[in-house]
Amino acid sequence: MTTAADVLPSRLGLTPGTRAALVVLLTGALCLALEPVLPWLVKWPDAWTLPATQWVDTVTRWILGWLKPLARAFADLMRYPMDWANLALNATPWPVTIGLITALGWYLGGLRMAALGFLGLSFVLASGYWSESMNTLALVAVSVPLALIVGGAIGLLANEFPRLKPPVQAVLDVMQTVPTFAYLTPLLVLFGFGPVVGLIASAIYAAPPMARNVILGLERVESEIKEAAVMSGAGRLQQLFQVEVPSAASQIMVGVNQCLMAALSMVIIAAVIGGFNDIGWEVLLTMRKAQFGQSLLAGLVIVVFAVVIDRMSGALAIERRRHDPRVVYGVLALAAVLTALFWSRLPDPAEFTLLAPVAEAVDTGLGEFTAANGDWLAGVKNGAMFYVLLPLRIGLDQAVLPFTWGFAWTPGMSWAVFAAGAALCLILIWRGRVTAGLMVLIGAGMLETGIADLPWPFVLVGAAALGRIAGGWRLSLLAVGLMLTILLSGLWDRAMLSLYLSGVSVVACAVVGGFFGLWSAVSPMAWRIVQPICDMLQTIPLFVFLIPVLMFFQIGEFSAFLAICAYAVVPMIRYTRHGLVSTPPELMEAAIASGATGWQIMRDVRAPYAAPTILLGLNQTILYAFAMLVIAALIGTTGLGQSIYLALGKADVGLGISAGAAMAILAFLADRMVQGFAEERRRALGL
Amino acid sequence: MKSAFIGVALAAMAGAAGAAELGAVDEPIKLAINEWTGQHVTTHVAGEMLKAAGYKVEYVTAGMLNQFQAIADGDITATLEIWSSNVSDEYYKKMEEGTVIDLGELGLDAREGIAYPAHVEEMCPGLPAWEALKDCAQIFATAETIPMGRLVDYPADWGTPGADRMKGLGLPFKAIPAGSEGALIAELRASTERKSPLLITFWQPHWAMSAYNVKFVDLPEAEDACFTDPSWGPNPNEVNDCDFTSTTITKAGWAGLKDKWPAAYEILVNYKLSVEDQQPMMGAIDVDGGKVEEVVAKWMAENEAKWRPVVDAAIK
Repeated sequence: MTTAADVLPSRLGLTPGTRAALVVLLTGALCLALEPVLPWLVKWPDAWTLPATQWVDTVTRWILGWLKPLARAFADLMRYPMDWANLALNATPWPVTIGLITALGWYLGGLRMAALGFLGLSFVLASGYWSESMNTLALVAVSVPLALIVGGAIGLLANEFPRLKPPVQAVLDVMQTVPTFAYLTPLLVLFGFGPVVGLIASAIYAAPPMARNVILGLERVESEIKEAAVMSGAGRLQQLFQVEVPSAASQIMVGVNQCLMAALSMVIIAAVIGGFNDIGWEVLLTMRKAQFGQSLLAGLVIVVFAVVIDRMSGALAIERRRHDPRVVYGVLALAAVLTALFWSRLPDPAEFTLLAPVAEAVDTGLGEFTAANGDWLAGVKNGAMFYVLLPLRIGLDQAVLPFTWGFAWTPGMSWAVFAAGAALCLILIWRGRVTAGLMVLIGAGMLETGIADLPWPFVLVGAAALGRIAGGWRLSLLAVGLMLTILLSGLWDRAMLSLYLSGVSVVACAVVGGFFGLWSAVSPMAWRIVQPICDMLQTIPLFVFLIPVLMFFQIGEFSAFLAICAYAVVPMIRYTRHGLVSTPPELMEAAIASGATGWQIMRDVRAPYAAPTILLGLNQTILYAFAMLVIAALIGTTGLGQSIYLALGKADVGLGISAGAAMAILAFLADRMVQGFAEERRRALGL
Repeated sequence: MKSAFIGVALAAMAGAAGAAELGAVDEPIKLAINEWTGQHVTTHVAGEMLKAAGYKVEYVTAGMLNQFQAIADGDITATLEIWSSNVSDEYYKKMEEGTVIDLGELGLDAREGIAYPAHVEEMCPGLPAWEALKDCAQIFATAETIPMGRLVDYPADWGTPGADRMKGLGLPFKAIPAGSEGALIAELRASTERKSPLLITFWQPHWAMSAYNVKFVDLPEAEDACFTDPSWGPNPNEVNDCDFTSTTITKAGWAGLKDKWPAAYEILVNYKLSVEDQQPMMGAIDVDGGKVEEVVAKWMAENEAKWRPVVDAAIK
C-alpha cells in the first residue's frame, strides 16, 4: 500500500525504515531511563486491566445458550452419517477394505499407487489398531465432505460478491490461527458430548484450505472462457457450474487434498474430548503412560493414512489418466473370494500384534539410550538454557549468575553491553548503513532486558513500526489496536512468554531449516533423505515426540523449544529448497555465461530470486510455531498455551477464547508483517 | 484394611435401601471411560455388575475434565472415579445446577504426597524424613531452578499442591508444573533409567508407584489447623506445612438416572472398590499387557462375594 509518506522524500533524508528504527530506539531508551520513576511504563499495572475474560465468558455463554437448540439439532442430524460411516467401515471385513483401497490406488495411479495402498493398509492391520483406525476414518469420512461443502460455499460466495473477499479472508485466517483447544469448550457446550464435537472442530480447521483454493481457482479462470459462456447465453448459475468451476477443477482438487490432510491432522485433537474409540485416543492413552514405542506405532498409523490419502487425492488432482478398470474388478473379486473362503476363520483384526515386539524394542531402546547418554544430554540442555534461552527471556542482567555463568552481573557490565552496541552502531552508520546500526542498538537493549520483560510501550511502538514498514499505516494501526486488546485483557505477560518461546524457535528454525533447505537444493541425494523426514514430521501427531524429548531434557522450556522446532522447521526447509531450485534457467544460463562460480550464482542470483518464496516459508514457520505452542504446553510451559489448557480443564469459556484470541492475534500480525515484506521483495524483483 | 469388609458392609447398606425397579432395560446405560487404567478397571467392574442385573451397558471414552457437560445432558449416565484433588470447576457448577448428582464415595483409599523413586534415597540419605530435603536441595537443582532444587508438580490445571508444601515447609525448592500426566511419567521413567535425582508430586493408586518403586516423603500428618493456622506445625509462619489431606474418590451421574434406571442407581451408589482389588488388576493390564475386559472378567468370577450382594440387594 502506498501512502503519501512513501512517495514524498523525507525532510530529514532518512528512509521510512530508519525513521521507524529511530522511533523504536528512542521509546526503548525512554522506557529504560524512566523505569525508576514511572514503574508502570515497564510493567502494565494489574489495576488497569479490564475483566475482559469475564465479559467474553458472559457474552459467549449467552450466545451459546441461544444457539444451543439449533446446534443440538444439527448434532443429532450429524450422528446419522457418523454412525453409518462407522458401521460401514467396521462391518466390512478387512480383506475387502484392503482390496477396495488397493483397487482405488490402481485406478488412480497404477501399480505404484496400488502397492502403496496395499502396503499401507497391511501396516495398519499388522499394528493391531484396525478397528480404531476405521473409527478414525469414519470421522474423516464425514468431516471432510462437511468441510468441502462449507469451504466450497464460502469460496463461491466470495467469488460472486467480490466485496465479501476481505472479510472472508479475515474469517479464514481466524479459523486457521485460533488454536482448536481454545474453542473445544464452547463446542462441547453447543453440540453436546461426543464425536460430533471432534467432527465440527476438524471441519472448522479443514474448511479454509478448500475455500482459499476455490477462490484462487475461480480467479484464475481466463476471461475469454468466461466471455464465451456469457455469449452462449448461459445463466449465471450455468456459467458458474458448467464453465467456471470445471475450468478451475485442478486448483479445487488441490483444495480437496489440503482439506483431507488438515482433517486428518485434527484427529488427535478430537480425541482429547473422546466419545470415540479412535486412533487418536490410543495415542493419548499411550502417551499418558510414557510408552514411546507404542505411541509411535499408533502415530505411524496416522502417518500411513495421511500418506495414502495425500498421494491418492494428489493423483486425483493432477493425473487425468485413469487405469484399466478390469484390474479393479479383478482385485475386488479376489478380495471378496478370499473373504468368502476364509469367512469362518478370518482372524479378528485386533489379534494382529506383529508389530508389538518392535514397539516394545523401541521403547526399551529409548530407556537405554536415556540411561547411557544422560550426562551429555543434560550438558546440552544446560548450555542452551544458561547461554541462550534464559538471557533471551529475562535478560542478561538477571540470567547471569554465579551458578550459571560463573560470575555475577554488575551494572557496569550493562553499560559495557550498551557501549559495545553503540560502537557497532556508529561503525555501521559511518559505513552508511544507518538502519542496521540502529537495529544493533535495539538488539543490545533487548538482550539486556529480556523479551519477557520488555516495556509494553516499546513493544507497541515496535509492532507499529514493523507494521508501518511491512504494510503501511493501516497495518500499523491494526497492530497497535490488537496488541492493546491483549494488554487490556491482562494476558500480556503470558503473551510475551509465548512470543519469546515462538520467536526463539522461529529464529532457530530459520537458521537450521534454511541450512537444510540450501543443502537439499544443491544435493538431490540430501533431499531424498530429508523429504520423507519432513513428511513424517508434518503428519505424525506430535504428542508422540513429547515422550523422548521429555525423557532426554525433562520438563521445561528447552523441551518445549525442541518440540516446537521439530514441527515448525519443515516449511522452512521445503520453501527454501523450492525457492532455490526454481530459479528460471535463463537467469542461470546468463550467470554461467558471465563466468560466475557456483557459489556466486547461489549468492547473487538464486538466493535473491528465491527470497519471496523463502519469506513465505518463514511465514508458515511462524504460524506452525504458534500452532505448536498449545501442544508444547503439555510439556509444561507457562505462556498462553498453558492458559488454554487451564481454561479447557475448568471449562472457562472466557479465558479459553481470550487466550486463543491473543495467540491468534500474535500469529496474525506476524503473518501479515512477513507477507508484507515478501510482497515488497517480489515487487523489487519485478515478479 | 477396612476395604476387605466393604463388600459385606455394603450389602447390609444396600439391603436397607431396599430393592428397586429395573426401569428402562432396553436402553443402554453409558459409563464414561477416562484416560487412566485404574478408572477403566473401576468402570468395567461396575459395568459388569449392571449387566449382571440385566442392563445393557455401553462404555464411552470421555476426557476426564470434559465429561461433565455430557453427564449433565444425559449423554453419559455415570462416571465412577472422580478424584477430589483433580476435578474441574465444571463439576461443581453442574452439581450446583442439579444436573449432575453425587453417587457417593468409591471407597478407594487414595493418597497423594511428595514422592521420589527409591534410588534417590542413596543420594539424599535422610529420606524419607522431610527434613532431609533441606540439605539435599542442591542435588535436585536443574537449569530452570538453580540455585533451588526442583520439584515436579502436578499440571497447572490440577492445582499447585507441591508448590504450597514447599512454601509451607520453607524448603528451598522451586515447583515446576508438569504439562500432563504423560510428562510426570516421563520424568519418573527418565529418573529411574538414569538414576538421577527427582522429587515429584504423585499419588496412589497408580501403576507407576510399583513400576518405578516410588516412595512418599514423610511429612507432618495433616490436620485442619495446618491449613488455617500458620502457627501450627514445624513452620510457625506459614500454613500448608504438613502432608496432603487424604483424597476422596467419588462417583457421579446424570440427574435422570434415579428415575430411568432405579435399580442401576442403587447399584452404582452402593458400589465400592478397594485399592487391594484395583491395584492387582491395574498391574495385570499395564505391566503384564492383559486386556481390561479379560482381567475384570477373571476378577468378577473369583470375587463374586464382593459384588453379587450389591446387585442382589438392588434387584431382589
